Amino acid sequence: MSEALACRDLSVGYGTRTVLDGLSLEIATGLWTAVVGPNGSGKSTLLRALAGLTTPRSGTVSLQGRALQAWPRRERARRLAWLAQDSGVTNLTAAEVVGLGRFAHSGWLAHRKSEDDAAMRRAMLATGSLPWATRRMTTLSGGERQRVLLARVLAVEAAVVLLDEPTAHLDPPHQEDIARLLRDQAQGCGVCMVSAIHDLSLALTADRLIVLGAQGLVGHGTVREALAGDWLSTAFRTRVDIIEHEGVYLWRPALAPAASVRA
Amino acid sequence: MSALRPSIVELELPLFAANTGWRLAAWLAACLAVTLLLTASSLLIGTSSLETSFGWLLNPDAQSSVILWQIRLPRTVGAWFAGALLGLAGAIAQGVFRNPLAEPYLLGSASGAALGVTLSLLAADASLGGLAWAGKLGVTGAACIGACAAIALTILLSRGVLATASLLLAGIVVAFLLSAVTSLLLLSKPDVWRAMQAFLLGNTGFLSWSSVGLLGIVFVVCLAPAVLLSRGLDALSLGEDTARSLGLSLPMLRLTLLGVLSLATATAVGQVGIVGFVGLVAPHLVRETVSVNHRQLLIGAPLCGGALLQAADLVSRWIVHPAELPVGAVTAVVGGIYLVLLLWRRNRHE
Repeated sequence: MSEALACRDLSVGYGTRTVLDGLSLEIATGLWTAVVGPNGSGKSTLLRALAGLTTPRSGTVSLQGRALQAWPRRERARRLAWLAQDSGVTNLTAAEVVGLGRFAHSGWLAHRKSEDDAAMRRAMLATGSLPWATRRMTTLSGGERQRVLLARVLAVEAAVVLLDEPTAHLDPPHQEDIARLLRDQAQGCGVCMVSAIHDLSLALTADRLIVLGAQGLVGHGTVREALAGDWLSTAFRTRVDIIEHEGVYLWRPALAPAASVRA
Repeated sequence: MSALRPSIVELELPLFAANTGWRLAAWLAACLAVTLLLTASSLLIGTSSLETSFGWLLNPDAQSSVILWQIRLPRTVGAWFAGALLGLAGAIAQGVFRNPLAEPYLLGSASGAALGVTLSLLAADASLGGLAWAGKLGVTGAACIGACAAIALTILLSRGVLATASLLLAGIVVAFLLSAVTSLLLLSKPDVWRAMQAFLLGNTGFLSWSSVGLLGIVFVVCLAPAVLLSRGLDALSLGEDTARSLGLSLPMLRLTLLGVLSLATATAVGQVGIVGFVGLVAPHLVRETVSVNHRQLLIGAPLCGGALLQAADLVSRWIVHPAELPVGAVTAVVGGIYLVLLLWRRNRHE
């Protein structure tokens, strides 16, 4: 197990606001790491900085032991893929969108090679989006679209995959599908998967947690370590109850069911 | 069982629909057929009341021959190229700014061209030296320089090409500013103002074979890089950050395409004046009839824009025959009606 992605003393801010201050992380490969924390704690900012989309005020990010800026653009894009929280409205077909994931491999002019086709097919099979490959993105439901976008990221076949809220706008069973996919990709294909996840129960199925609070990094480690140290309560600045039920960790709301239900 | 586990049947599914290529080809062929039809018809229609028969077309006398080959043919071919440039510029603008309402003039080129022409006309009016200078430059040259200067000013004001919002805002500011200057200059010169109107409303009447040559060369020069970079526009449609994460150089893509946009618009404006709506409507028409990626759009929109301006040119000559309407007025009316219909249809669907 080696680190695929690391940052040292990373500080990022917008205008006068500092979002991340002196953050240091080493993220291992072959594992799915979930980034959790309250709104505004800098989950997206961290992922964007790790992806090289935001220039940090100070500190460095290194990809496979080499500084992010030192990588040639296309080579970097082959090793590190990023999924936005919200993608633009596009007129393309699902397969055309997934094909864009092969841009760093084939470039501007290239005709799709058989290996590009194979990668696209693998990615669409893995996300279950192949049945609507020929359909326009505009005709797909939110969940279907999200799977196509996930396939776009997987089609890059990068060693490091950063995903900003890949389960947003999905119903719970489909969220679970995505979580399973992330775990399979990480463990089965040896990919370094890092995703911001809003749903705490879902995040607790990940291999590792990065817990961010308003004051910065609360902790980075296994789920067991996070629960033992009560990192989530610290991050959310309120009591966060996690219960274990038949080997599954669940976030327990403090709010009891409505009186009308109990009666 | 997970919904993500593929079935055996799924493994054979195609990535791309087999019939898309044919539908696009049929559409492009239809565009070309319409163009040929319009070219033939426009040879028969004009201000001078010539016998409009195909027999006359095949066997013209000397005077008709000049009208046919030196006036009508370059005019309609030039109109096609100008429309194609505007269609291409519109498709590029809508792709670069990720906005279906973007159009070729959004960087202030139209107002710049108008100011350029005004200045050259005023100079010609003021002194002999100015007349010689303006004569050498010509209306087209002045318009082209004005358009380029306005776009340069816009890019300068927004300090580069990276921030979409500030670029658009700078374009609006420049357009207003230059229009105000033009109006102020023309206020005191009613005769120059009248000459300006012919240009402001768009006019295909100045087109000659030399302008056709220029338009054709610029069209090829603009189309090639645009089509080569079309995959970048596809990537950009998913968002700027996604495009960057895919390994795309956003400044290179933006600068090249805005350069192409400026060259195409300035050339078209220089030759036919400010023809509105073609650049806006042509990409829309393509997208409404065949759903396309950017490579297909960047080829389809010029073909569509060319046919549109040819048709408008034909209508402008025929509707008040033997007089002529400014072609820009025709495109504005037809394009406006089309957009309103589009809006109504959208509203009904929602």
